[in-house]
Amino acid sequence: MEFYTYVNIFETKGLEYLLLLSFLALFILLVRYLSVPGTKDRVAGEKSSTPPH
Amino acid sequence: MNNTAVFTSEFNRVFKFFLQELKPRGKWLTPFNVISIPIIIAGLIILYFRFVYGLGSVTNLSQDFPWGLWIGFDVVTGVAFAGGSYVVTFVVYVMRNEKYHSIVRVTVLNGLLAYVFYAGALVLDLGRPWHIVNPIIGNSFGYNSVLFLVSWHFLLYMIAMFVEFSPVIAEWAQLEKVRKFLSALTLGAVIFGITLSILHQSGLGALFLMAKPKIHPLWYSEFIPVLFFVSSIYAGLSMIIFEGTISHKVFKHLIGEGSHHHYDEIVLGLAKGAAITMFVYYFFQALLFIHEKRWELINDFWGYWYLVEVIGFVLIPCFMFAYAVRNRNLGLIKVASVMAILGIILNRLNVSVIAFRWYAVDHYYPSWEEIVVTLMVISVEIWVLRWIVTRMPVFRNP
Repeated sequence: MEFYTYVNIFETKGLEYLLLLSFLALFILLVRYLSVPGTKDRVAGEKSSTPPH
Repeated sequence: MNNTAVFTSEFNRVFKFFLQELKPRGKWLTPFNVISIPIIIAGLIILYFRFVYGLGSVTNLSQDFPWGLWIGFDVVTGVAFAGGSYVVTFVVYVMRNEKYHSIVRVTVLNGLLAYVFYAGALVLDLGRPWHIVNPIIGNSFGYNSVLFLVSWHFLLYMIAMFVEFSPVIAEWAQLEKVRKFLSALTLGAVIFGITLSILHQSGLGALFLMAKPKIHPLWYSEFIPVLFFVSSIYAGLSMIIFEGTISHKVFKHLIGEGSHHHYDEIVLGLAKGAAITMFVYYFFQALLFIHEKRWELINDFWGYWYLVEVIGFVLIPCFMFAYAVRNRNLGLIKVASVMAILGIILNRLNVSVIAFRWYAVDHYYPSWEEIVVTLMVISVEIWVLRWIVTRMPVFRNP
């Protein structure tokens, strides 16, 4: 099974642009998601900042 | 006392100290020893037959399948796992992020040993192993081959990592002046090492560029060097998390209590890096999926196998890492790191062994001897790692 296939680089360009744009948008969302402390942290932080009665 | 006398007495002291340190410590009858000693003995016997009677006597390799488990797992996969070394040294010495300084020594040691043993396993797979020096001594440079780049980079990177680790050896041997001199070389060695690493991690992928008709189109791509490089980053980070988890249990007595708490923060940072890199890698794969119209190939066994690798062992662990970092779930990070490691093993074996000549009627399967020798290489590496870690100040903050 010795064969070569040649890819037409213009055939899928539209989809590739869409994918790249969605990647950039999702990448920003992922970095923001990882940067903000999670629920457990927020709850712990709020508890520690509440003054004792 | 003149200089010669000082040097002789110092040399004698270090030599006696080294002999003293060679003696075994601790219990001999541990579960790891009981399992690994028979494997090492069996592996050595198999290697005797391999070097006396040739590769065909112990392996299932042939002219059609010249690369098997020893290249696919030991060299191609093992080197990817050593990627953690260049990532962490880059973060600590170039980006000046001190948070990860405490894991630099153990990470560099792991990287160095991985290269010595896994890249060293290349010797086992060469039909004429004495030719391994040819690209170095110029008997036959072969600079048109990617292997020329890979062999030189392996050699130089091993030297660079040894220089990076050498201050620890000097500290252990109580050679203060030597340690100061070697520490001054660290930054240069790190920058040199990172450059080499980036090139040969991708170079390992470039080895497969010439095998286009033989690799299944779902795994072959002109961008395979880029994929190998990007995946080596998260492979290394996942391996640091995995090895660190084991080290923190096995070598608990060598690590201070404060370091355990600090280590949790390090693991979260490493997991964050792994999640981002896996996300980038996944999109590279998605882009190639569209660019090469791979959907036409997805509806058969190889297509489903490809989806298992890319979705099951890249996208899912990526989300697991991200969710675990957000919720500070260390248990989930450890599970995700194991899945990422399995994904890397699967990917490298798919490219080099499983999807290689996928159309052949008689496919290659590793012989039991190949598996035993691979386990022997891993066992010996762990023995050496344990010997060094229990004697040298590897877990101590530099």
